[in-house]
Amino acid sequence: MSLEQVAIGSTARVADVSGSDSTSLRLLEMGLTPGVNVRVVGTAPLGGPLELELRGYRLSIRRHEAARVAIAK
Amino acid sequence: MSPTPDGTASPDGSPLPAGWAGRCIVVALLGNPNTGKSTLFSALAGIPTRIGNYPGVTVEEKLGRFTHRGQSIELIDLPGTYSLVPKSPDEQVAVDVLHGRLPDVPTPDCVVVVADATNLERNLYLATQAIELGLPTVVALTLCDVADEKGITIDSAELGRRLVCPVVRVVAPTRTGIDALGDAILSVIHSPRQQPQGLDAHLAAVHPRHEQAAREAIARYAWIEQLLSGVVHRQPPSTRPLGERIDDVLTHRLWGTLVFATTMLAMFSSIFWLATPLMDGISGAMDWLSGLTESLLPEGAIRSLVVNGVLAGVGGVVVFVPQIAMLFLFIAILEGCGYLSRAAFLMDRLLCGVGLGGKSFIPLLSSFACAIPGIMAARTIENPRDRLLTILVAPLMSCSARLPVYLLLCGAFVPNVAVGFSWLRLPAIVLAGMYAVGVATAALVALVLSRTIFRGPPQPFVMELPGWRWPRWPVVLERVREAVWSFLQNAGTLIVAVSIVVWALSSYPRNDTVIDADVAAHREVLTTRLAGLPAGDSDRTDVAEELAALDTDDGLAAARRGAAQRHSALGWMGRLVEPLVRPLGWDWRLGCAAIASFPAREVVLGTLAVIYNLGDIDPGEEEGGTALVRRLRAATWDGTNRRVFTLPVALSIMVFFALCAQCASTLVVIGRETKSWLWPVVTFTYMTVLAWLGAFATYQIGTWLGG
Repeated sequence: MSLEQVAIGSTARVADVSGSDSTSLRLLEMGLTPGVNVRVVGTAPLGGPLELELRGYRLSIRRHEAARVAIAK
Repeated sequence: MSPTPDGTASPDGSPLPAGWAGRCIVVALLGNPNTGKSTLFSALAGIPTRIGNYPGVTVEEKLGRFTHRGQSIELIDLPGTYSLVPKSPDEQVAVDVLHGRLPDVPTPDCVVVVADATNLERNLYLATQAIELGLPTVVALTLCDVADEKGITIDSAELGRRLVCPVVRVVAPTRTGIDALGDAILSVIHSPRQQPQGLDAHLAAVHPRHEQAAREAIARYAWIEQLLSGVVHRQPPSTRPLGERIDDVLTHRLWGTLVFATTMLAMFSSIFWLATPLMDGISGAMDWLSGLTESLLPEGAIRSLVVNGVLAGVGGVVVFVPQIAMLFLFIAILEGCGYLSRAAFLMDRLLCGVGLGGKSFIPLLSSFACAIPGIMAARTIENPRDRLLTILVAPLMSCSARLPVYLLLCGAFVPNVAVGFSWLRLPAIVLAGMYAVGVATAALVALVLSRTIFRGPPQPFVMELPGWRWPRWPVVLERVREAVWSFLQNAGTLIVAVSIVVWALSSYPRNDTVIDADVAAHREVLTTRLAGLPAGDSDRTDVAEELAALDTDDGLAAARRGAAQRHSALGWMGRLVEPLVRPLGWDWRLGCAAIASFPAREVVLGTLAVIYNLGDIDPGEEEGGTALVRRLRAATWDGTNRRVFTLPVALSIMVFFALCAQCASTLVVIGRETKSWLWPVVTFTYMTVLAWLGAFATYQIGTWLGG
């Protein structure tokens, strides 16, 4: 299951970020590392980006980037 | 190489080690975006001593200077960055400066890492990377006041021990902790450097299947969590923080979008409302100056050069200043309080569809007022590919200079009939259609370019939504000042030069014999035409009026002015391009007007007025506009009674103006912002080709439907 599928308002724990390009490195650098808790705050209209809360701040990423973030069940 | 302080006290016991005396210490200011870095820069150094671009890139370079306890310190503001593993030009510059790899930029002796106290985990990511570089480092904890409000307490002394570098709490707007920061800089410069330990231990714990950079990122966060345990205490506030409650509304799918639309509408219309009187004031002042010059200088070439060349050019530059200042004021406020990222978040999906991103929205919206501030606003887009694409399509948004052309032609040549509803009139639909033509073409161009020459790996959209806070006025005003100044300084001179060239083309060569012959021939044509028109024909009054005007001093002067322009280099060029514009339904006079408006499209109505012997009237005013419309309606193809201006021709002119790059200022600004002359050439070429094709299709289809 990926972060893209997490329901709005719920919190999930990151298991892994797939890929080894600059995007996945950026996601890690922004704090989406294995073990961190992420709350999905909301989403932009028309299937736009997700608004996340982690490590005490808010981050927005697009859905296909969220799909790279695997969630611990 | 910068001298490496060895920590030994200087022989004479002065507070600074040998080698520093009389030398300026170079301090680099590093930090994540949105950490109050600019505010700290102002608090430390005041107004920057130098603002420009780093060599070869469009990344802004900002230097300042201040003195602390007699030691002069040069401050380099590095672009905001999240990591020292560079992924963008901004981040590359930060890394290059820290390593002393950029020519003309002094190598830093010390790094001040700005860290947002409300968000230490992520901020320490960059801070620990900076500490590992080995330069003397100080961590400045900013936004401590906001952290206090949020119930976050930080044991900065303990954090300093763990990081093995001074950690100073600052509240930049009130200058709290600024002196302590200065002291910390002086102390680290000559104390022995020790590296904090810990990253290596965590690296060993990360699964080896990850790439090296990814392993380091994972290990670094694990280390930071350990560093902060017992250092940061969060006391959950009794009520939900205001910022979160604001965000619930402002990033909501429905409410957020509604608030966004209202904000943009308010911002956009106030730019119009507030900038218009200022722009009118500037035009008025320029008219007054022209009038003064006319009364002081004798009639002749010099006066014409000063009034129609130099002053017109200067006026054409200065008139953009209110809009640039207004837009950057709004952008700086929205950026300062954190709304700009929310706007990009809300609009991302819409623009993603055409290969752009959420951050392109405000630059494109601004371009409806004027492409120049819009293109400059594209600086807020970090991603170089998205930024360039936005700049290339921004001039297709119908700017306010196109509006008078649309209004005049829609009013004069589009039948004022109702469409479906009595309130829905055809001219209004055509007017809206012209805006739609620009937007649709921009979407198409962006889509095609992003799939062809700008094709590449998908650009990530990983954007922080910074906490809500009040904008800092010194930072806001600095932003406005910088935008206006860079426009005047760099674009201004070139625009004035272009304006002088156009003046010369439309004034020379000048031959009085030819002009007299032209006026006489024109009188002949009008007389013959009047005689041929049956009584009661609608054209009779117009032709008779024009003929009568030739007998007045003003009318004759206007006719001579028109003749001079028709026989100038510009007139010659108009005849030269006639085969090109004929398929658009235009005669050579329209070709002239189009050529003359390449430097600035707003001159087209004035040029038409001169060509059609009305002299220097103001077609923007009702009286001038009506006179021009009557003259245009009566205009015929040379030697025939066939009208030039029909509905398909009017539509073809409007489409041409909607799509054509008729603004030298925009092209100059594109060159400046992209640091390359290739992109203005590309923009000019593609827009002119599209404009011709669009006008051609409009005229041909219009004629076919009408015929």
